[in-house]
Parts: sequence; structure tokens; C-alpha cells
Amino acid sequence: MPPLLRTLLSRLVASVLVLAGVSVLMFLIARVIPGDPARIALGPNATPAQVDALRHERHLDAPLPVQYWEYVRELGHGDFGTSLYSNRPVRTDLEQYLPASLELIAVAALLMVLLGLPAGVLSARFRGSAPDVAVRAAALLAIATPAFVWGVMLQLLFAYVLRLFPIEGQLGANLTPPQAVTGFLVIDATLAGDWRVLLDALRHLVLPALALAMAGIGQTARLTRASMVEVYGTPFIEMARAYGFQERRIANRYAFRPALVPVLTVLGLDIAALLGNAFLVETVFGWPGVSRYGVEVILHKDLDAIMGTVLVISAGFLIANLAVDLLVAWVNPRIRLAGERA
Amino acid sequence: MTASHSRLFGVLLGAALAFSATAHAETIFRMDDSAPGEADPDKGIDYVGSVLAFNIYDALLIPGQHGAPVQPHIATAWKIDGDTYTFTLRPDVKFHSGNMLTADDVVFSFKRMMALGKGNSSLFAGRVAEVTAPDARTVVFKLSGTYAPFLGALVRLPILDAKTVMAHKAAGSDPQMGDYGQAYLSAHDAGTGAYSIVSHVPESETNLVKFDGYFLGVAKSAPDKVRLRYGLQASTVRELMASGQQDMTSQWLPPEVMRVLAARKDVHLLNDYGSGIFFLHMNTQKPPLDDVNCRLALTYAFDYATALKMVKITDTVFTGFPANGPISHGAFGYDPSLPNYARDMTKAKDYLAKCKYTSPDQRAIDIAWITEVPSEERVALLMKADFDPLGFKTTIKGMPWTLYTQQVTNPASTPALSEVYIDAATPDPDSLLYNMYSSKVAATWESASHLKDDQVDALLEQGRTESDTAKRQDIYRKLVARLRDVAPAIFAYEENQVFAGLNTFQLPSLSDDNARFSAEEYGLQFRLIEMAAH
Repeated sequence: MPPLLRTLLSRLVASVLVLAGVSVLMFLIARVIPGDPARIALGPNATPAQVDALRHERHLDAPLPVQYWEYVRELGHGDFGTSLYSNRPVRTDLEQYLPASLELIAVAALLMVLLGLPAGVLSARFRGSAPDVAVRAAALLAIATPAFVWGVMLQLLFAYVLRLFPIEGQLGANLTPPQAVTGFLVIDATLAGDWRVLLDALRHLVLPALALAMAGIGQTARLTRASMVEVYGTPFIEMARAYGFQERRIANRYAFRPALVPVLTVLGLDIAALLGNAFLVETVFGWPGVSRYGVEVILHKDLDAIMGTVLVISAGFLIANLAVDLLVAWVNPRIRLAGERA
Repeated sequence: MTASHSRLFGVLLGAALAFSATAHAETIFRMDDSAPGEADPDKGIDYVGSVLAFNIYDALLIPGQHGAPVQPHIATAWKIDGDTYTFTLRPDVKFHSGNMLTADDVVFSFKRMMALGKGNSSLFAGRVAEVTAPDARTVVFKLSGTYAPFLGALVRLPILDAKTVMAHKAAGSDPQMGDYGQAYLSAHDAGTGAYSIVSHVPESETNLVKFDGYFLGVAKSAPDKVRLRYGLQASTVRELMASGQQDMTSQWLPPEVMRVLAARKDVHLLNDYGSGIFFLHMNTQKPPLDDVNCRLALTYAFDYATALKMVKITDTVFTGFPANGPISHGAFGYDPSLPNYARDMTKAKDYLAKCKYTSPDQRAIDIAWITEVPSEERVALLMKADFDPLGFKTTIKGMPWTLYTQQVTNPASTPALSEVYIDAATPDPDSLLYNMYSSKVAATWESASHLKDDQVDALLEQGRTESDTAKRQDIYRKLVARLRDVAPAIFAYEENQVFAGLNTFQLPSLSDDNARFSAEEYGLQFRLIEMAAH
């Protein structure tokens, strides 16, 4: 078996074990949150008999191990249970809200890469000069300012004052979304050839994605800079300079790639973490994402929905982690070859 | 035709086309509310769920106007014979599907609501022995005993299109009824209302369109479409309103944001009231508030005027009205002869002198406020400022809603004082007071005073069994008087839900006292909105 495939398989097995652990932990934590979910869901006017009936229906009157077993058994059939908050199957909720979050995160990740990496390269290349100072100051500001503050500021400036982008939402009120094929609005609009919807959806994406990406852009720029500065101090760069290579070529071709390895690792995890951290941005921009949903279900002690949301976010994090490892191995031949030698 | 005639013809044609375009321009009404929006009318219990149900579905009766608790709607007439209620239905009510409404749909709707056991089903639980449809236009409810609030409860029984629901049923626990169309109705509708669902995402938005076949007709001035957005931030709503991209806010905006909007010339305020009170529950089962004199001392030490100032929006508009008890002014059972509560330190000291707990240490009380409602902390601080100088030792603690709901299930763990807004579910005061003050009900956040009072219990039961309206009115007035005496809560103020709306529309049922309905939430009828475009 090729070493890379072996690594992939072992990581997959480990991921499943991690997910199992998360499910046990969350199952217990969700039940420690005070409050009777059945009473919260039915309201104060519900009769005790109605509350008891709901408790029984949801196995809430059974011992914890039985409750967990029932949950896992239903999960095995692809049934995430029913949300007491939305009164719908959790799976339906997740299918509805996850694509919106993923779309937002994909654009935010793109912005982190497209703005953060060049800024870091620029900063390292002109170390100590004006562009470096400017990039470092901007990066610090981007990291230090919370995402929801960026959200409100971007909203005020670009949506309210300049009217360049919509204030909130995923699509304008005058447009009808295309038939859901993938659940991703941008992809569905493209598949349907509905360019008006596509354009409007992209316009709606810009500000929330930028607000979400700001800290990541700053972080990426700083890491790229630090990593490249370190690479610039290595003998092979000095040798390249001695050969008379142009600085631009040295930066882009010789310094950037080795500097990318630590950046990619952190960037990948940052992007994965966005799924859980997007709550405030989704709230500010009225974005119908899974992060906002997750917080609402916790506040309503919606046990099945809490479990479903956490499992999906954890799975997303593990997949992203795995993808980063593979990407790093691809970028850094030493890691790949070391695996093959082993 | 000369050149000048051609030009004139062209101009006239252009003007006609422009006029035609204006006349047929779609109007859309946009507002926000709290998430989630519940589309299934048998599940929603909050404000937005009620608004959706009242606009998409109809009931046999609706909340009354001009002092009447209820008025005919789908049912044109009814006859009460002991515990049997016979309703005659209108013949011209059409569902959005095109099916005509029959008595079988009413029977189906009732059975569905009770089978699901959610939403407002508790209003009927254990009360109805049998529902039958002798013919297409007659429905008979046989109650299991006398239950005077039944007519009021019927405004909360939405009538669904049985054929549409059953055509879309999915697999469920009931072999015959499947899931009762729950999956379908979570995103679609089966109603007769003036608006039908185009799309619905509970966490995000609902889009509605005017139903041309509505049995009462819908004025042209009513919006062609309605877009409800859920869970928007106050800052976002403020920007949407200021830029004209939203027509009306929810009532959940903080007073400071509402004040900013109210100051704008292009904005007017609307309000909804009549069902809700801001209660400061006092735990009557735990020292020192198990002594009625201590409770009355707090009742008269509370600074009602300052509490109202905290919810001031303009010089004349507050999100509250002075209260004289647990029933709002204008609601059935309200007694206008009783004075509104006001701070009276002399009375407070007199009652405190009679309280069996004499030292501040014995008079230690914890005040709980719900952390999800930051404005409640200010009221808690006001109580501390009012009660400590009187001789109480107060501690303030914020707690999340879920924790509060758990603590109040037991008198021992229930805070001495806690703040909760509570609304009546129906135009009948029974739906508010019974669940709060009957010693028979389960302990919930509505009954956090854990009152055990024989007179109150007796009056509550009389209110349920007396069918004569005048006598019932008298019973509830006596009940309010008794509740004032035993003081299970400080009735801080009547709730006044204030909305900000652009001047592009008017909604008399939320602005004109002559057009209001007897129950909150029903006033937000999209069909009664008058858009300026017309």
C-alpha cells in the first residue's frame, strides 16, 4: 500500500474515533445544560401529559446510556433526530443551512488566500520599508478587530453609505432562488443559467465573507511574512542572489514555496474553524448559516439539533485537517518522500 | 395622420403604458421578526408563529373588535346547548389549493392539532370529548365538561385543507395518517388565508403572496407580496429601515434603536397591546415572600413610573402602560375602577411593619433576570434601589432562560423575584391567569409565584364554568381584586409592543384603537395594510 494512502486511511480511522468521542462528550454536555427541552419546546401552557408524551417520544425519560444508544442507532440510519426548535428533522435543517455557511466560508477562504498570501510576500520582500510597515499594521488591525465589528463597519460603509453591496441576506427580495440541486445558491444559479441570481448572490456574499476573512487575511499575511523572512536567511537564497537572480524571481520561486508549508497548516485550520466561528457574522448579515443555527439550538436546549450541528462542524474540521495534511505533503517533497522512504 | 398627431399619439401611448405599469406594479411589504418562523400552524406558539398562522389560515372565530371578545369568521353562527357547541360554516371559503372548505376539514384540523400535541393544543387538551361533521356546513363540538373559555380558544384552531395535507403525508408513527403532513407543512401551507406561502426557511425568511380567492376579498391597497426576515440584528434593521429597504421592524428592537427610528420623519410608530403584562413574580412559598405583607411592601415600594421611563421611546410612546393588575386595559375582565399601581412608601413601610420577617437578614431576596433580555437587568437594578433602603437585602443574578425554566419547576429553587413578560394566548383571561395562578397546574415560568390560594382557585374554576358573559366579567374582576390582595407578583406594567414603520404604509389595526382586535398578534393582518403605492 502506498505510504500516502496508508497515512490517509489511518487518519480516516482516527477521525471516526474522534467523531465518536465528540458525540459522547456532546451528548453528555447537552444534557448537563439546565432546562427541560420538552417543556421549553411546548411552552408553559402545555399540560403535564403533553410534556410527558414528548419526553417519551424523544426517549428523554430513558436512562442516559439508552438515550445515547437510541441516538446512535438512529444516526446509523442517517436520522439526526428532530429539532424541537424548528420542529423539523435536524437533517433537513442541516441540509438547508450548511451549504449557505460553506459558501460563505469558501469565499472567505479565497479572500484569505488571495489577499493574505500576496500581502505577506510583499511585506517580506520589502522588509523594513513602507510596504512592510503598512502590511504589518493592517494585519494587526485585521486580527485585533472582532469579525462582527468588521461586519458592522463594512455594512455601514459599503452597504448603507456607498450602497455598493446589499445590507443583509443571501438574495434580493425581488429575485426567486433557482430550484435547489446542490443547495449552494451560487452553484444552483450557475446550473440553472440564472445569471441575475448568480450576480446578486455573489454581491450578497462579498461583505459577510470579507468580514469573516479579515482576521484570517491578517494572520496569513503575518505568517507568510515571518516564514519568508526565515527562508530569506537560508544559504540557498543567498546562493540565488549570488547567481544574480532577480529579487522577484527569488521571492516567488524560491522563497515562497518552502515558506508556504507552515502557512498552509495554520491557514487550513483557520478556514476549518470558520464554520464554528461564523455565528456573529451570520447574525449581523442575516445569513442563514449553520453557525447561527447552532447557537440558537444551544440556547433552546434542542438536544438532537445540538448533536447534529456539532457532529457536522467537527466532521468539517477533521476533513479540512486531513486536506491540509495532504496539501502540505504535496507542497513539501521532504514530507512526501520521508513517508515513502519509511 | 400628421407628424404632430403621431408625436401626440406616441406621448399618450407612452403615458398610458407608464400608468398601466404603475397601476400593476407589485407592492411588497418587508418586515423582520425573531427566528425561527414556524410555518406549521399547529406548532407555533410565539409571536411570529401566530402572525404566520393568522395570515395564512383562518379559524371558526377570530378575536373581536369594539369590546367583543370574539367575532364570527368561518363560522357565521353558533348555538350552545349545555356542553355542545354547534357551528354553521360559510359556504364560500376556498383553500389555496382551490378546494372548498367543509366541516370535515374542521374535524380533521382539530384531530391533527390534538394528535401532534404541540402549539396551542393545550387549550383544548382534555376539554373536547368529540368533534363531528353532521353535514358539510355544520360542525359539532361536544365538550367533556363546561368550559367557558372554549369560544376564545377557537381563534387558535387554524383550519387546514385535509385533502392537501393528506396528499402530502409522509411516513409517520400513525399508520393511517402518516406524519399528518408535518414535513410538508414545515415549508408549505394548506390554508384559506389572505396570503399563501411561496417559500419558507425557518431561520431565514418567509415569502408570502396575496391569495386572490380569499373569501373576504383583499383590498388592492394590501401588499401583493410579503417578505418576513428572521433573526436580524438591531443594527442591520436600523440600516435597512433608514435606507428604505424594510417597511416595518419587529417589536424586539432595543428602546434606544427604536428611539432613533422614531425620530425620523419618514417613520411612524405602531403598537399592539391588550394581552401581555410584565410580571415580577414573587415566590410565595419561600421566606420572606411567603408572608403576604412582605410581598405587599415590595408591591408598593416598586417605582412603577421609573420602570416605564426605562421603556420610553418618545414623549408619548412607551413600550408599556401603567397596570392595575394582571389583565390589560381593554381586555375581558379588566376593571377600570381599580387604580393603577404607583409607588407609595408609606404603605410599603406599613406592610413591612406587619411582615413576620423583621431583620434585613431574614428579608434576603434574590432577584433573577433573564440574560437573553438585557433590559431586564435595568429593572433588577431598579428593584435593588427600591427595596434595599426599605429593609430588604437583595442580590441580583442573571440567568439564561433554560436555567430559569428549570429552577422554577420547584418552589425551593425558584428565585424570590423574577422578571417575565407573559401574554394571553386567546382573548379570554383564562388563558393567561389559569396557568399562572391555579394550584392545579404544573410549575412553569408562568407560575413561578407558586401561589396556593383557595379563593383564587375557586374564582379560576368559576371563570371556566360560568357561561354567562356578564357574570364571567364579574368573576374575573373579583379575581383581579383578590390577586391584588395576595400579591403573587408585582404587575410592573402592561406590555405595549411597539413597531416602527415607514410612512409608505398604514395599518389601522395596529394604530387606530377603533380598529384593534381583542388579542395581540391578530392585529398584524397583512390584508389590512394600506400600501402608499395605491
